[in-house]
Amino acid sequence: MSRIGVFICHCGENISRTVDVERVAEEVGRLPGVAFSTDYKYMCSDPGQTLVKKAIQEQKLSHVVVAACSPRMHEKTFRKAVEAAGLNPFLCEMANIREHCSWVHENREEATVKAIDIVGMMVERVKKNRILPTITVPVTKRALVIGGGIAGIQAALDIADCGHEVILVEREPSIGGHMAQLSETFPTLDCSQCIMTPKMVDVANHPKIKLYTYSEIELVEGYIGNFQVTIKKKARSVDEDKCTGCGVCMTKCPQKKIPNKFDQNIGMRTAIYVPFPQAVPNTPVIDRDNCTWFKTGKCGVCQKVCGPGAIDFEQQDTLIVEAVGAIVVSTGFDLYTIAEKPKGSPIKGYGEFGHGKIPDVIDGMTFERLASASGPTGGKILRPSDGKEPKQIVFIQCVGSRAREKGISYCSKVCCMYTAKHTMLYHHKVHDGQAYVFFMDARTPGKSYDEFWRRSIEEEEAVYIRGMVSRLYQKGDKIVVMGSDISVGVQVEIEADMVVLATAIQPQKGADALAQKLGISYDKYHFYSEAHAKLRPVECATAGIYLAGACQGPKDIPETVSQASAAAAKVMTLFSRDQMEREPIVARVREAGCVGCFACKKVCAYGAVEEKEIRDRQGNLIKIVAYVNPGVCAGCGTCQATCPSKSVELDGYTDEQIIAMIEAL
Amino acid sequence: MPLTSQPIDTSIYATITAAIRSEASRLFTAAEVVAIIGYAAARRVGSAQPVIITDAAAAETLIFTEACVNNLAVYLTKAKKEIPKKGKIGIIVKGCDLKALVGLMGESQLKREDLYLIGIPCAGVLASAVQPATTLTTETIASKCCECDVHLPLGCDFVPSVTLPPGPQMESRYSEEIARLEALTPAERWAYWKEQFAKCIKCYACRQICPFCFCEQCLCDRNKPQMVETTPRPAGNTAWHIVRAMHLAGRCAGCAECERVCPMDIPLNLLNRKMAKELKELYDYEAGFEINDKGPLTMFTEKDDQSFIK
Repeated sequence: MSRIGVFICHCGENISRTVDVERVAEEVGRLPGVAFSTDYKYMCSDPGQTLVKKAIQEQKLSHVVVAACSPRMHEKTFRKAVEAAGLNPFLCEMANIREHCSWVHENREEATVKAIDIVGMMVERVKKNRILPTITVPVTKRALVIGGGIAGIQAALDIADCGHEVILVEREPSIGGHMAQLSETFPTLDCSQCIMTPKMVDVANHPKIKLYTYSEIELVEGYIGNFQVTIKKKARSVDEDKCTGCGVCMTKCPQKKIPNKFDQNIGMRTAIYVPFPQAVPNTPVIDRDNCTWFKTGKCGVCQKVCGPGAIDFEQQDTLIVEAVGAIVVSTGFDLYTIAEKPKGSPIKGYGEFGHGKIPDVIDGMTFERLASASGPTGGKILRPSDGKEPKQIVFIQCVGSRAREKGISYCSKVCCMYTAKHTMLYHHKVHDGQAYVFFMDARTPGKSYDEFWRRSIEEEEAVYIRGMVSRLYQKGDKIVVMGSDISVGVQVEIEADMVVLATAIQPQKGADALAQKLGISYDKYHFYSEAHAKLRPVECATAGIYLAGACQGPKDIPETVSQASAAAAKVMTLFSRDQMEREPIVARVREAGCVGCFACKKVCAYGAVEEKEIRDRQGNLIKIVAYVNPGVCAGCGTCQATCPSKSVELDGYTDEQIIAMIEAL
Repeated sequence: MPLTSQPIDTSIYATITAAIRSEASRLFTAAEVVAIIGYAAARRVGSAQPVIITDAAAAETLIFTEACVNNLAVYLTKAKKEIPKKGKIGIIVKGCDLKALVGLMGESQLKREDLYLIGIPCAGVLASAVQPATTLTTETIASKCCECDVHLPLGCDFVPSVTLPPGPQMESRYSEEIARLEALTPAERWAYWKEQFAKCIKCYACRQICPFCFCEQCLCDRNKPQMVETTPRPAGNTAWHIVRAMHLAGRCAGCAECERVCPMDIPLNLLNRKMAKELKELYDYEAGFEINDKGPLTMFTEKDDQSFIK
C-alpha cells in the first residue's frame, strides 16, 4: 500500500488567494493511499523543503505529490529534496494548481474543487510511478561552431583555448563576417579590421581549430554530447594544400568586373578571388558562375600561371562527417534590402525611398565600405553614381525597423550608434560637408554610448532632425529628401548629394532551413529562440545547441562577443565531465507485444528507435522488435501514441498512469 | 446497382486454373518454393477454400473460380506459424490481395524476396451472400469487385497469359452508400452506426481475417490497463469498431474480408472505404499501390491539411 505525502503550496498568495488550500489538504488527505497532507506558505523555500524531507522520514512516505506551480519551475527542486530524504527522485510528482488553476480562475469555490481534482489525479498517477535510475551517456568533447563572424570566432577561440577541438564552419570563402566589412567601430572609433584580423589569424593558427570555409551544414543527427554533423565542402577549384596564397592567379584573371559582395557590390573583383586582402584562409576560390573556363571551357590562365599547380577545375563538392558533442550557432545577420522588395516576404519595402532606383541612396554597410581604407574608394567618401564627394549627406534611421505597418516591429539596436559614427567619419573626411540625420529617437544605452552620440552633435556638427522621411526623389544630380521636423512642427526639404539608410537587421537568408536541420526553434522573423529570455539566454531549447550573436536578435559587437564567450562557457560546462546525466523519462518497448512494424521508428524525430533481434537459446531468430536507445530518446512520447499494439510505454507517462488519472476524475 | 443484371464473362478462369497448376508443379519440382498458398475446391459444389500445399502432387488440387473470394495474405501474417519458414513461399494473389501484400511489405511484416507471387487476372468474384455455384453477374458479384481498379495485378513473378474480356460498367455500391450517409445529419448518422454496432457480438472474426491486424497481442485484449471494454455492450462495441477503423486508415486497401466474415452483417468495409476516401481527399493517398516506408499518418509535410487547427 502506498503512503503518499501531499504538500500544498500557497505560493505566497498566488495560489491561496483563489484556492482554499487548507480544504484541498484536508480533502486530499482522505484519498486512499494518502498518508499525510499539509499546506505551507512557500513550499520551495528552505523550511518548505525541510518540511517535505521531515515528513518523508517521520511518516515513512513512499511517494510525494507537491501541489504548487508548473513542474517547469520547481520539479527539480522537489525531486532533489525527495532524493536527499532517501527516496528515488522519480517517485515525486508535481500537481500544477497555479498556472492550471489559481491564475486562470476567479471563483474561489470552483477553483478549489478543480485544485482537489488536479491533486487527486496526480495522487493516482504517482501510485504507479516506478523507481527510475538516472541514465548516463558519454560526451564527445568536440564542438561545432556554425558561422565564422566575430561571434563564431570568439566562441571557437574560447573553446579551443580550453583544450577542446573545435570545428568552425563558414559559408563564405573567408571567415570574418560582417565585422570585417566595417570601417571603424563605435564608441571608440578604432579600426574594425585592426582589432578583428588578429583574432582571425589566431583561428587559422590554432592547433585545436579545424576550419571549413566555403562549406555548409548538410545534415545534423544525434543529440547532446553525441551529434553527427555532415558538412558540405563546396568545390573551391583550388587545392588548399598546394596553394601558397601568392595571388598571381588573381592578378592574371581576365574577368575583372565582377561585383564584390564583400564591398556591397560597389567594388569589383576577379573570377578567382579572395573576398578581401586579409582573408583567412588566404586561399582563393573560383566563382564558377563567372569564370570563363567554366562558362566556355576556354581560358585557364590561372592554371597556367599557378606555380604550385593548385588550380583544380575538376574539384567536386565533398561531404565530411564530424562527431561533436555541442553546437554553437552564430550565423549572424543580413541587412534588410533596399534594392528590392523581398519576394514572398510579409515585409512591405520602401518604394517611396527610391528602392535601388536612385544610385546614391545606399545602405549603412555600403557607407562602411566607402569609409574603409581597404574599400573600393580607398577610404574616400564618393558617390556611387559619379564619384563626386557629397557635400550634403542625409542619414535616415529606422528604415525597416520599428515599423509595424511595414512588417518589422523590433528595434535593430545598433543603427543609432552607427549612424552617429557615420556622421563623425563623414565629418572627418569631408570637412566642408554637412550631415543631417532623421531619427525617431536616439537609443544609446551602453558604456560610453550616449557620450558618443552627443559628441556627433556637439563636436562633429551633425544636425539631428526628429521626424521621419516621407519621400525621396531625384532632381538633377541631387536627391530631394522630404521629411518632417516634429520638434518644431514644420515640413523639411533637403537637397542632398547622398542618402544613407540605416536599414533593419534581419537574420541570414536560410536561417529557417538551418534551424530545421538543427531542430531548434525560431521566431516569426526567423531569429533563433533561446530557451528562456532571461535565465537561459544563450541556450536553445534543444539540448546541446547554443546561440551566439545576431542570429538570435540584433546585437552590437561587445554584446556579441560577450554572448559568444557565454556560449563557449556553456559548452565547456558540458565538456567538463566524461559522462552526462540524463533524465530517465524515456520510452521502453514491451518486447512480448511488439510485432516489429516499426511505426515507432518511422515517427521518431530523434532516431532513437533501433531494430533488435530476439533469438532463442539455440540462436534461432524468433522475431525482430523495436528497441529504444535510452541515451537518444528525448521522451516526447510520439512512439507511444503511434504504436498500434500499445507496446511502447513512456516511463512516468504509461497508459496505465494516464488512465488512472482519467479515472480519478 | 443496375436494374437489369448483366452476365460477366469468367471463361478465362479454366485456363487460369490450368496455368497455376502447371506453374505450381514446376515450382516444387525446381524447388523454388517450399509451400504455395492457394485455393482448392471445398465440399459444397462450386465452393472454394484456402489451401496450403507443399508438394508437386498437390498442385492438381489448385483452382481459381468465381468462388475464390478469400484474401490469402492473412496466411502470411497472423497464420504464418502454420507455414514452414524454410524457404520462399508462393501465393496466389488477385489484384486486391496484392494491395494487402504491398501494405504489409511497407510495414516490415513481409519481404518481397521471400515470396513468389502468382498473379490472377480477375474478372470478379461472387458476393458472400450468394450460393457458390451461381453464375457471376453484375448482381451476384461482390461489392468490392464493383469498384475494382486492379483486375490485372502488376509486379508478380508469374501471371497466366490470358486476355481479360471487357466487363460491364458497374457503379460503386460503397460510394453510393457513403454519399447517402454523408447526406444525413450527424444525429441520424450516429443513430445508424449505433444500430449497426449494437449488433456486434465481439466474435472478433473481422480482426482474425484482416491481414493488417497482425499484432500478436491486440490492445483490445489487454486488461492492464483495459483500453476497450471486452463484453459485447454498446460502449465497448463502438470503441472496438472505432479503434479498428482508425488503425486501418491509410492501410486498408479494401479486400472487404471483414465485412464478408461478419456473422452479424455489420457493413465494416463501409467504414474502411470512408476512411480511405478521407485519406484520398486530405493527402491524395491511396493504399496498396506502392511500398511506402511511411504512410500519410506517420508522416508530416508542410503541404498537409492544417484546417483542423482552429
